[in-house]
Amino acid sequence: MSTLTVDISDLKVSADPQDLIVTYALGSCIAVMVHDPIRLAGGMIHYMLPLSETSPEKARERPAMFADTGIPLLFQTMYKLGCRKQDLVVKVAGGGALYDDKGLFNIGKRNYTILRKMFWKSGVIIHAEDVGGAKSRTTRLFVGSGRCTVSSQGEEIEL
Amino acid sequence: MIAQSEILQRIRQLPTLPATVARLSALLRDERSEVADFEAVIRPDPALSANLLRIVNSAYFGLRCKAESVRQALALLGLRRTCEVAAAAGFAPVLPARLPGYEVEAYTFWLHCVAVAVLSERLSAEVGLKRPELTFTAGLLHDVGKLAIGAFVANSAAEIRDSMRGRGLSFVAAEREALGVDHTGVGESVARAWSLPEVVADVIRWHHAPSEASAGAARDLVELVHVADALAHALGLGADAGELARQVDPSAKAKLGIASRRLESVAGASLEEIREMARLFAPPVGVSP
Repeated sequence: MSTLTVDISDLKVSADPQDLIVTYALGSCIAVMVHDPIRLAGGMIHYMLPLSETSPEKARERPAMFADTGIPLLFQTMYKLGCRKQDLVVKVAGGGALYDDKGLFNIGKRNYTILRKMFWKSGVIIHAEDVGGAKSRTTRLFVGSGRCTVSSQGEEIEL
Repeated sequence: MIAQSEILQRIRQLPTLPATVARLSALLRDERSEVADFEAVIRPDPALSANLLRIVNSAYFGLRCKAESVRQALALLGLRRTCEVAAAAGFAPVLPARLPGYEVEAYTFWLHCVAVAVLSERLSAEVGLKRPELTFTAGLLHDVGKLAIGAFVANSAAEIRDSMRGRGLSFVAAEREALGVDHTGVGESVARAWSLPEVVADVIRWHHAPSEASAGAARDLVELVHVADALAHALGLGADAGELARQVDPSAKAKLGIASRRLESVAGASLEEIREMARLFAPPVGVSP
């Protein structure tokens, strides 16, 4: 069994049922976790920003930095493992915000809005989510079982 | 409440920042200083000299020729960059393996310090501010107070957490309520004990409340670091017990006049540099990435 750590602006996938995929300290960033219960594969992205148009060059170097370039890449990478879109169970966590911030720093909200739009357009259903609030979250995806946990403020929940 | 004497005792117990950092910062601000003055400060410090050469010759700076002496390093890096390197190289070894109370490992705390330093610089460029002197150093050292009061914060952890989550106080306000002091006020005392330049002490003191800064304080720099600090936390660069429980000063935001898209662009452009610099100067203890 190995633990795959997903850095900020990174994605990891695995088809080893023994693996655990984890990402730490999701502030306004969002983690999308996908699991295929038939193929027993899983993947996670930890994206930082909503739209690649703010830095097209960065998007080429690091597509997983942005929702609009990273999320499609996560799904494509899963398809390469032999997964099919209709089998994938999709969960979402993160998108936190600082206190009272409705403007400049509301990166979390923008990150979430673009994700909803993209999923709506491509017909992806979010099976479970834990988003928003002044929380920093750590998420884990167990590749074999598809079990997904979110820990924050000393508590862990199942997603 | 903690007695001032207890805090001062903690500050005295802290490992000190090498005196070279304060001396180089002072030289940088002195218009009459010359390269030879910088060299005279650095050369007698073997650890700094060695670090400077290691860093200047690292892939990060991508210089075409190799520096073999302090003088060459100064010429290749420039005076400002040399002072930044000295500050980072001097500060990293001062960090404990884990900061009690803030529940953060040395590397994560370090990543946050570097993130705020780099984001402050990038933000000043983005909004077209003439970069205030010592932006990097002030950003790097903004949270030094946490080194001195971590143990007290740990003793009052439950109370601080309850005020934060139950009553919606910011972490720094909860800290002040429980202890009678917070890491910004204590940080200012650390800055004095370490003989840091006045502007750096101002940033440390006011980085959570830029609008309360006294009239003579380096307001531009305080505001920059305040916004960079909030951005670093929002992005998860150095999450600690304070999480996202903080407010951004509306007037600092307004004065900076930066739109959200440009803020995001600064964040995107800075990530690699933050990671590289954090790795390059990583503190000797703690978990590496």
